[in-house]
Parts: sequence; structure tokens; C-alpha cells
Amino acid sequence: MNRNTSMVTLYIGLLGLVTLAFGLADILAWAGMIQSVSIGVLEIAGDDFFRWAWGGAVMVFGGLFMLGSLMSPGTMERSAKAILGAIMVWIIAGTDIFARLCESIPAGEEAPEFFNSVAGFIGGFAPPYSAAVLLLPFTLVIVYFLFNRKSDEA
Amino acid sequence: MALPVQERWDLVDAIARKTVTAGIYRQNLGDVLGDLTVRPLTGIAVAVAVLYAFWSIFSSFAGTLVTDGFMVKAFDDYWLPWLQEVWPDPASIHYFLFVGDPLAENCFEAFGMLTSGLFVSIGVVLPAVLIFYLMMTILEDSGYLPRLAVLMDTVFHRIGLHGYAIVPTILGLGCNVPAVTATRVLETRKQRFIMMTLLAIFIPCGAQLGVMLEVIPDAVGWVMLFLLFGFGIFGFVLDRIIPGSNPEILIDVPPYHWPLWKNVAKKLVNRTKSFLKDAVPFVLFGVLAVNVLYLAGVIGALADLFEPLFVTWFGVPKETVGPLIAAFLRKDLAVAQLSAIAMTPYQMITAVVLVSIYFPCVATFVVMLREGWKELAAAVAVLAATVFVYGGLIHAVGILMGVA
Amino acid sequence: MTEPSKTLLMVGNPNVGKSALFNRLTGGDAVVSNYPGTTVDYTKGLLVVSGREYGVIDAPGTYSLEARDAAESVTVRLISENPGAAVLVILDATRVERGLYLALEVIERGRPAVIALNMIDAARDRRIVVDTHMLQKILGVPVVPTSAVTGEGVRDLAEMIRKAQKADIEKVRARADGRFNEPERSGGCAGCGLCGGC
Repeated sequence: MNRNTSMVTLYIGLLGLVTLAFGLADILAWAGMIQSVSIGVLEIAGDDFFRWAWGGAVMVFGGLFMLGSLMSPGTMERSAKAILGAIMVWIIAGTDIFARLCESIPAGEEAPEFFNSVAGFIGGFAPPYSAAVLLLPFTLVIVYFLFNRKSDEA
Repeated sequence: MALPVQERWDLVDAIARKTVTAGIYRQNLGDVLGDLTVRPLTGIAVAVAVLYAFWSIFSSFAGTLVTDGFMVKAFDDYWLPWLQEVWPDPASIHYFLFVGDPLAENCFEAFGMLTSGLFVSIGVVLPAVLIFYLMMTILEDSGYLPRLAVLMDTVFHRIGLHGYAIVPTILGLGCNVPAVTATRVLETRKQRFIMMTLLAIFIPCGAQLGVMLEVIPDAVGWVMLFLLFGFGIFGFVLDRIIPGSNPEILIDVPPYHWPLWKNVAKKLVNRTKSFLKDAVPFVLFGVLAVNVLYLAGVIGALADLFEPLFVTWFGVPKETVGPLIAAFLRKDLAVAQLSAIAMTPYQMITAVVLVSIYFPCVATFVVMLREGWKELAAAVAVLAATVFVYGGLIHAVGILMGVA
Repeated sequence: MTEPSKTLLMVGNPNVGKSALFNRLTGGDAVVSNYPGTTVDYTKGLLVVSGREYGVIDAPGTYSLEARDAAESVTVRLISENPGAAVLVILDATRVERGLYLALEVIERGRPAVIALNMIDAARDRRIVVDTHMLQKILGVPVVPTSAVTGEGVRDLAEMIRKAQKADIEKVRARADGRFNEPERSGGCAGCGLCGGC
């Protein structure tokens, strides 16, 4: 039980740090402090204020919430902050995925048809992805931890 | 027979003691999460994220998917060429009124009632208000709005209002008409006046946001920034010069709950219906009216008359007089019209801000009148002063930044 | 002119679900949201129950009958403009106290009243128990637990409207102090209001 708890703490702490780092990278990329990044499946374009500076700030908050949860008193407060941190990542990831969906349904300006082909539609979801989308599966683990703990208590 | 207030409360206590038993209530995760959304440190972060989600979904759905993905193609590649082909006599007056420019390649530039009018109302604004109202309904029904009110309380007190003023403000981003009526939740006449004036001047409606997103996507941020600053500055000034009080209130925060899809659907249908019924005819009529005025030479004469004010003081081309007239009917239409005028990016930002803060649209005007003609008259006076001062100020900022 | 006794005025604190209940009762479409102050103007609807017709008015939420803002004064005006109307006071079962204050004000004005204890499902979730029978006995007006969201109790409430009851505030006070043995009414009832005073 004790070992389990420290593992959860470690996990949330690491995830919080990574989220925070990616959030800062988003903002720095927008500010032009770092070159736009595209490594493997990860892409930080930093090309517009709204997505990268504002969205990056949301990621930073997400990371801070996760880290803050480690220092909070009480199980409930800790869980709530960790979840809130995860929700921040979900907001960015969710809107990124939604944006891709909206881009992939129509055929595009040049094409004569209205709707995209199935291949084109699926192609719209090909990598590279933003950091939030990549972090999405890892944040879902937090939810798993919480449910696990609940069943422990019951 | 009426009891004194204290005795009535005593009686309430006596009755409640006999009838209400509260069991032991265990705080659950939802409650703690809810609590985090009103605490300043965490709550502001949440508000920033909520606003991000709101705007991102709004622009993806209305801009990328519906308008750019389908409507532009349908209107520019099919509807416009077809109309230009089948409508007889391109040199006639009726062609000019209904189809517009025979050489236009897109529906923004054509400016006929059936081309631009239909495109703006159905192709651009309808998807925008649809998604906007959907998200606003979710915000309303989940119980987030009063929490936002708690968070914003300190800020709003600086401009003579209190946190609950966020409700009319957010409603105003959808449409100013229900927002003006919603100012009734504010206590004093001073508060209501400040709120109504600020609403009419600085809060762009959903229709206008939709058009801005389509025609000036890069400048929307700047326009919103100027409007936000204006909201703050003029709120601060109005608070100082208008007599009256700004009482403290306790904001009642209801528990969060999941929106009921039936209620969401019902509101969405009702709001969309009233948009189709009230707004679309106004846009069409607006295009027609501006075209008639143009033909009659009224717009040309006004443009010459106001040229010194526009060119020297505001730093925008004199052609923007036309859109300002359209702005009285519909702001969304006016912004669409501005996009067809050749301007530098900064002039465009200035012009769009001017269209926003200039006279409220006719529907808003009517509801304000219903709330009190004295307030309306005063609001119009404030408005005239604001347009003049703020328009010049933005021009000055542009000169200082070296972009105007 | 509609017959005065057949108007039903819905009043209650802000955000207790008046409009939701109104929609349930009349099939109308008053705007419902989860924040206080959604309704700032009144909505009218029609309720037909057991062969009787009621013109139902959904008034803006108010904490008391001393209006504090423009929306509340709409409600106060509605009450004085409809002197013969029965008043349906809607209480939030999770916050009975503040609703009771308004209910007492209505009773003091000598209006025939019915009380709906709305959001009873939320109260249950929060482990709050309200003794409806006791409340009815003390106030001397019908009290019906309802949930506008699920529709629970709405039928009963509609049936109970015709039993809207005037109550004497001094007697309410006596009963709240535990003195139930005051002079009996014509029918020899305990003043529970259930029978409609017939």
C-alpha cells in the first residue's frame, strides 16, 4: 500500500514536470526564443499566439496543478488537483483533436468535391502531434489511479 | 398582518428546527473540484482554460469546418456564378441591388442582397451563433457562470459593478438583446446604466465574432484586446462620474450538475429559431438599404462630409462611412463590408473596433429603449464621446507603435 | 378578465427551479439555466388539471418581497397586481430556511398558498431530510416534494394546486412552538391544509 502510494506520487510528479516543460516550450516557441520543434511524432509550431502562448499557459497551469497536488493536505484535495491538472491537458488535447477533425472532414479549398475521401480524412490525423495529445494517454493513468484507490477504500 | 424581519427569521428558524434534519454529508471529489474553480489561484487558471476551449472550439467549428470547409465553396463556386449567369442585365439597378458587382469572384465582394446578404447570414453567422449558443448553454447549465462571477468580483468592483455583471457580459457575447434585459439582476440604477452602456459599446456579439473570425482572423486578438481595454477604461471613468452606489452582494453559487441534453437542445433550437427569424431578414434588408443609399449618393456625400474626421482623427479611409451606416442595422454585416475595403492591417483593426463601439444595432437599441429612454439617451451621449475619444486614442497608439 | 382564483403565481428564491417546474406544469418553454437570475421577466402559461384551468405566471426569483433589484420588483409587482391569485411558493429542499422566509411573507399577506419542495432529489443526495408532513402541519398549507428535473411529484403538485390555503401567521407561530391545540376550524381539522379547508 505504502509503496503503491509513493509510486503514484512519483508518477504524478514526473508527469507534472513534463507537462510544465512542454507548456513552457509552447510559449517559448511562440515568443521565438526557441526554433519550432519537430522531433519524431512531436511538433511545436509556435506559429500563432492563441494556440501556443495561451494554450501553452494552460499546459503550464496543468503541470503546476499536478505538482501542486503533491504538496496538498488531504487525499481529496490531492486527487482533485491532480484531476484538474489532467483536465487542463485534456482541454488542449481535446481542442487539438477537434481542430484536426474539423480540418479533415471537408475536402479542402482546391478540391472540387465537398467531402474529403476516407483516406484523406484518416490522413488528417497522421503525426506529428502536439505535446498535449501525446500526454493525453499518460494523464488517463491518473484517473485509473484514482479509481483504484476508491476501490481500495471501499 | 406582517411580522418584523427579525421575528420572521426567528419563526423560520423555529420551523426549520422542527422539520429539517441534515445528515452527515461527506464531501466528494466533485465538491473539491468545484471549490478549486472558485479559489482565486486555481480558479483563474481554470477560467483561462475554459476561455481557451470556448474560442478554440468556436473557431474550429464555425471557421474551419462549416464556413471555410463548405459554405465558401458552395457560395463562391456555385451560388455566385450561377446567379451572375442567370440574373438578367448586369448593368441594371436590380442587378446591383440583388447580385451586386458582376465581376466579383467571391460573395464578400459582390455585395448584393442575395449574394453577400445570404452568405454573411447563412454561411458565416449561422454556424457561428449555433456553436456559440451550444457552448454558452453548457456554461449556463453546468453552473460555471456564477463561479466566474465570484472570481471576477474584485475586478468588476473597480469599474463600479460587481461580479454578477459577468452574466450580462457573457450573454452579450452571444447577443446584446438578452444581455440588456439581464442587467436587471444588478441592484442600482448606476450599475445598470454602466453595464448597459459598456455592453452596447464594448461587447461584440456572436454574429460579429463569427464574421471577424472569417474576414480578419489575424486581427481578432487585437480587436478584442482594444475592446477589453476600452471596457476597463470607460468602466473606470463612468464609475467615477456617475452618482450612485455599488453595493456588495453575496453571490449564490449553485452546485455543478451535468447539463440536461433536453434542456440544451431546447434552448439551442429556440435561440437558432429566433436568429433565423429576427437576424437574417435584418442582414438582407441591411444590404439592400446600404445599396439603395449608395445609389442615391447618400453614402458618397456622407463620406465626403466625414472625411476629415475619419482620415485625420481616426486614421481610416473615408469609405468606411458605408459600413458604419450598415452597423446600425447589423454589426456582422458592417464587418463583412469593411473587409472589402482596401486598408492597412492596423486601419482594419481600428475600423473594426470603431464598428463595434459605434452605435448599438437596432435590436439592442429597441430593448434599451424599453428599459428606459433616459438611460438610452445618456448611453448614446456616452457612446458618441467614446467613439470620438477612443477612436483617436487607437489611432494615436498606432502612430506611437509606428504602424498607422 | 380571467377569474381571479384561477391565476397561479410561481414565486421562490433565485435558481430553485421555478422555470423548470413551470415548464413541467404548463409544457411551456421558459428559459432554464443553472445560475440565479436567469428569469428577469415573467412568462405566462396554461395548466389544465382535473378539469380546471389555471393561468400560470413564472415570476423572477426573489429573496423577499422587498425588492432589491429590477428583476425582483417585477415579482413584487406581479403579486400586488394579482390580488386573487393563488401563490405557489417554490423552496429549494437543500436550502429550506431562506425559502421559508419568502413563504412566510406570502402567508402573512393572506394569500392562498401551496408549497413545492423542489430539488428533493438533490436534498436526498446530500442526506438532508425534510419532514414534509410536519412542515405542512405547521404552515397550514399543502407542501409537496418535487423534482422538476426528474418530474417527480409534479403530478401531485398539479393536483394540490386547487387546495391552496390561506394561513394565519399567529397560528403558524403557535404551531411552530409546538402548540397544536388551538381552536379547531369549521370542519374540525388539524389545519394541515390537505383537505383544502372544506
